[in-house]
Amino acid sequence: MLPILANGAFRNGLIVFAFLGYLILIGIPGRLGGSALPILALVAALFFWVRLRRDLSDIEGSFLRTGGATGKPGWRIGEPGHTSPQEAGTPLPGREGTLAIRKGLLAGITTGLLIAVVSFAFASAIGSGTSIQPVLDKVVPVNVAALIGVSPGQISNDEVPPLRYLLQVLFFTAAGLIAALAAVAARVHGLQTTAVARLSTYLDSQLFRKAARFAGILLPFLLLAFIAWLGIPGVTAFGSNEGTVRLLLTLIATGSGLFALRLAHPGREQKTVALLLALGVLTLPFILDQFQNSVMGLVFIFVMMGLGLNIVVGYAGLLDLGYVAFFAIGAYTYAFLSAPFSSPYISDLLTFLGISPANPLLGYWTALPVAMLTAAIGGILLGIPVLRLRGDYLAIVTLGFGEIIRLFMLNLGELTNGPRGILEISQPGLFGLAPQSFSSGLLSSQGWIFLVALVSSAVVAFVAIRLNDSRLGRAWFAMQEDEDVAEATGVHLVRTKLLAFAIGATFAGMAGQLYASRQINIFPENFSLFVSIDALALIIVGGIGSPAGIVLGALALKGLPEVLRGVDEYRIVAFAALLVIMMIVRPAGILPSARRRIQVSSTEDQISTPGEEDLDEEELDEVTGRRAQAASANREAARGQEGP
Amino acid sequence: MAPSRLTAQAAGVNGKTALRFLLRAFGAAILILVIWRVTTVGLAEGYPASFWISQALNGLVLGGVYALVALGYTLVYGILFMINFAHGEVMMIGGIAGFFALQFSQARGWMEGPWPVVVAALLLIMLFGMAASVLIGVALERLAYRPLRQAPRLVPLISAIGASLFLQYSVLLIFGVSPHSYRKPALISGGMRMGDVFIPYTGAIIFFTSILLMLALYFIIQRTKLGRAMRAVAEDRATASLMGVDVNAVIVITFMLGSALAGAAGVMLGFHNTVVKFNSGFVPGLKAFTAAVLGGIGNIPGAMFGALILGLIEAIGPSALGIPTEYKDVIAFSLLVLILIFRPSGLFGEVLSEKKA
Amino acid sequence: MTALLSIQAVTKVFGGLTAVDNVDLDIAERSITSLIGPNGAGKTTLFNCLTGLHRPETGEILFDGRSLIGLRPDEITARGVARTYQNIRLFGRMTALENVLVGQHLRLHASHWSAILRSARQQAEERAARTFALELLAFVGLESHAEVVSTNLPYGEQRLLEVARALGSRPSLLLLDEPAAGMNPSETDRMMELVHRLRDEMGITIFLIEHDMKVVMSVSETVAVLDYGEKIAEGTPEEVRANARVVEAYLGPEVVLQDTADTPNL
Repeated sequence: MLPILANGAFRNGLIVFAFLGYLILIGIPGRLGGSALPILALVAALFFWVRLRRDLSDIEGSFLRTGGATGKPGWRIGEPGHTSPQEAGTPLPGREGTLAIRKGLLAGITTGLLIAVVSFAFASAIGSGTSIQPVLDKVVPVNVAALIGVSPGQISNDEVPPLRYLLQVLFFTAAGLIAALAAVAARVHGLQTTAVARLSTYLDSQLFRKAARFAGILLPFLLLAFIAWLGIPGVTAFGSNEGTVRLLLTLIATGSGLFALRLAHPGREQKTVALLLALGVLTLPFILDQFQNSVMGLVFIFVMMGLGLNIVVGYAGLLDLGYVAFFAIGAYTYAFLSAPFSSPYISDLLTFLGISPANPLLGYWTALPVAMLTAAIGGILLGIPVLRLRGDYLAIVTLGFGEIIRLFMLNLGELTNGPRGILEISQPGLFGLAPQSFSSGLLSSQGWIFLVALVSSAVVAFVAIRLNDSRLGRAWFAMQEDEDVAEATGVHLVRTKLLAFAIGATFAGMAGQLYASRQINIFPENFSLFVSIDALALIIVGGIGSPAGIVLGALALKGLPEVLRGVDEYRIVAFAALLVIMMIVRPAGILPSARRRIQVSSTEDQISTPGEEDLDEEELDEVTGRRAQAASANREAARGQEGP
Repeated sequence: MAPSRLTAQAAGVNGKTALRFLLRAFGAAILILVIWRVTTVGLAEGYPASFWISQALNGLVLGGVYALVALGYTLVYGILFMINFAHGEVMMIGGIAGFFALQFSQARGWMEGPWPVVVAALLLIMLFGMAASVLIGVALERLAYRPLRQAPRLVPLISAIGASLFLQYSVLLIFGVSPHSYRKPALISGGMRMGDVFIPYTGAIIFFTSILLMLALYFIIQRTKLGRAMRAVAEDRATASLMGVDVNAVIVITFMLGSALAGAAGVMLGFHNTVVKFNSGFVPGLKAFTAAVLGGIGNIPGAMFGALILGLIEAIGPSALGIPTEYKDVIAFSLLVLILIFRPSGLFGEVLSEKKA
Repeated sequence: MTALLSIQAVTKVFGGLTAVDNVDLDIAERSITSLIGPNGAGKTTLFNCLTGLHRPETGEILFDGRSLIGLRPDEITARGVARTYQNIRLFGRMTALENVLVGQHLRLHASHWSAILRSARQQAEERAARTFALELLAFVGLESHAEVVSTNLPYGEQRLLEVARALGSRPSLLLLDEPAAGMNPSETDRMMELVHRLRDEMGITIFLIEHDMKVVMSVSETVAVLDYGEKIAEGTPEEVRANARVVEAYLGPEVVLQDTADTPNL
């Protein structure tokens, strides 16, 4: 038994080492500085704990259950306290406990030794003058020194006291030991279940529920008040990071507002909360500073994008990866209309139409319908060829379209000014007033953009929700469920699909126009495939088909990374890892729509190649089964002949 | 019943057929435009034949590399019905690993040794790149895809996009932004001249190596027990597992095979382009996917020919159409779009039946 | 009585296989007609030709005196032809009520703008649609399941819901593809009763494919038999039961030589 367990321990140790090694290679210890070693040990302890808990429950499972697959305990489906007290509270036999502790120790020592060896190797390599930095970008004296717990100078001069390595081993061994002790103790005393059970009785009590509900509803308002208070000169919190803290709080306040809306009882209460929240959020642009406003503006531009893409993907079920094309069309249309750069094509067109190519041609609001219309036309034009495609094929073709548009923007220098971009795009005004004249002091320029983004996304959300609630929304959803049946039931497929593409594109065009005026200067590189991916990711993370989820997704995916500006280089990696984990842990999104919740794990759309004449399954059976049927009928008949 | 036949045709102008007619007309218009452009502009430039031949050879080399990557897409799609969006990154990691192996052997002086040493070292470099790719490919399957086997189709796609970003930016963080340049050993840096056509050694080596690897893969799939198991799983996973095929093992091996080919492609692309960096897998990955679709995704010979055709078109297309070379990506993607619109099952496509899901 | 649906010399070929071969069939208004035949006889293919999923190579289909050939499925539904499916194809994640509302899609005309603005007319139309949907659900006996997500309904009720959805488009001809397949005897009785009520109370013409001979013989006024894509017999249930070619198609040629009357399955 021991060798098997020891094997498991080494494996755990190796896995944790691999993870820590990754963190070291991307330079996390250097970031953490002096506290690197304890923090890494803590991370390791957490890992060990998770793995040991699983192992322990496997052991226990083998005692209590008769075979069958044991699920990961952390992700057990069902009520939180569903493990019955007898089951989870069963004291582990002493032998299992000691084995678990030995396992934890072994795993810790494995990790510790490996870390020590690696850091020794790095340290001596740096000390002896071998330059590994150009190869492994983040293996610099600072990083290695933080890992070992010495100063960078000592690394460069190869003066690391050997005891330091021993300390590393000790740290990780302790991590393993603590994790094992924690896991075993929790098992032996049935801590987890009692805690969960106690918590669930609290949760069940009427009073607690009420209190939680009110707290939930109140939270966004408290946060908004705090944000406002933080903005008053002289008030500081958390030292120099006040700006970031305030941004984070703003994001949380907006997000928790959505939950508050869900908590409120439908009817008058919900309406009041919604109204107050709207007022609260509308004051934000006035109290936030330029940076916070610019982030929030971007967040809400992406809310518009998400809402538009949600119509195509979430409602109509057409996976569009080239959505950025319409965003770009909106942005460039507005840029042509309002920036000093004038392409010969456009001015030729204007003179042909008999309009003098003045500059700027149109203001923000007069250009809005033009941008929306252009994007909608783009949506229909790109929609027509892909009408017959489904599923993955549609995704790839639209992705191709998106790239083609970007490459054209890059290479059609005469039309788009190529990679040099279009500069000095004008800002939205208000009733003919230039933005500067009315916003001075009261509203920063980015605050104004944020305000416009807020109002525009509210309008977009309103339209999207209303449409989804009408017969068009039902037709979209029917089409998503079964295209052929929807058509046979009376849904005009071409019109319904094109409407989805056109409305989605219109929203993207609006977002693009606002984006252009937010950026002031736009370049083809602003419209890469990653914009499409961001938009898709945010609706999926937030909860596909659910507008509230989309706002949340935008806050999480476009807002949070800005809070983490300090660790800029790591945010994409963290974001990407989160995306994968999210898909595994909660594929329906944070705030899933009611429909999605019904069936998350169904294999919904089947493979289908849009062939010229694809037979139904039943028909194939019919056609191919005919001969077999005839043959078997004959056989039966023959048998009948023999019988009498 | 002649009259009714006529009525049928007359009535058919509206409805579904109208769209099909429109598409056909659109397709014909594009074809005519391309032919007109090629004859009046491309051929009128008066390039010598040797120019076209060397362009075509260049295209074949590129096509060979695309084919190796495209096979990975096709293999995985054939078995799991998912687009392994991160496959381009698996290839890039092979290239990065190959770069370090190359550095190592250069530091040891193997690259200046006698020719058997150089050949052995090159083989080792390629094997190292393949090993690194296999490692990443298997980890990808285990961590990002396996937990999602039962999920709706959108979910693994998003996970794959996440994995792709994760790999790209991890490489960026670990190995830095700057491109790593491959230095060819003297032995293969020259070329041979056949008339007016210059054939670089690397090009020839890349082309023949990829053909060799493809033949090896074809042999594995058609002639071995493992290949039979793979085909069985591709046909019907549940039945295959009832017949005693270890489906998980087959899927892992599929990822290993695909990743190994991608790793080899990564190393060869490194030699061909002379640089690798964190995002150098993305566009070739997309192109390889295009090639896989071109040949009919899930169809192995289709992927090979699709890739060769794509490579050729990309190399010859811009000069033939008389447009700047910057548009070669546009040509590739337009080709993808057109193929999917007019021949959705690819050029050599086997039609996937609806049952396969 | 004039023919509501007139199928004239319809032929449909898949590759080299003639699935429907020169079939003529007239269906009178307010009648119940059954289409029977061995598996693979081309029955569903004929239905698919009628509803526009396939386009027959030759022949003419007249509905109410006008041709259906070349029309899209939704246009055919708009003319007044609705159908159900052999393997139930409901909109799985929608509730029963929503399924019926989608069925009414064609009969709703409020513009999308009015949906955004929630104009009084659009609201009235939605309310009326909802009421009608509930009436239809009550008609098939599913009024208590209006808010149930359709995949969660029991099998027999899913079939009933498919009928209700088809009724949503206010059809004058209803095509039922094996309505009693997979049902237990009591559910089958319920379905047969429903078929009669559809005709008697709603005045809808019924054309159905069925394998259960008990249903066919008790429900239909006319029976048409398809074999290898060809129509081999047509007439009242009694006539068809006595037809030698039908028996041959079902049981093979040898049996016919023995005794045609002694065929317990028909």
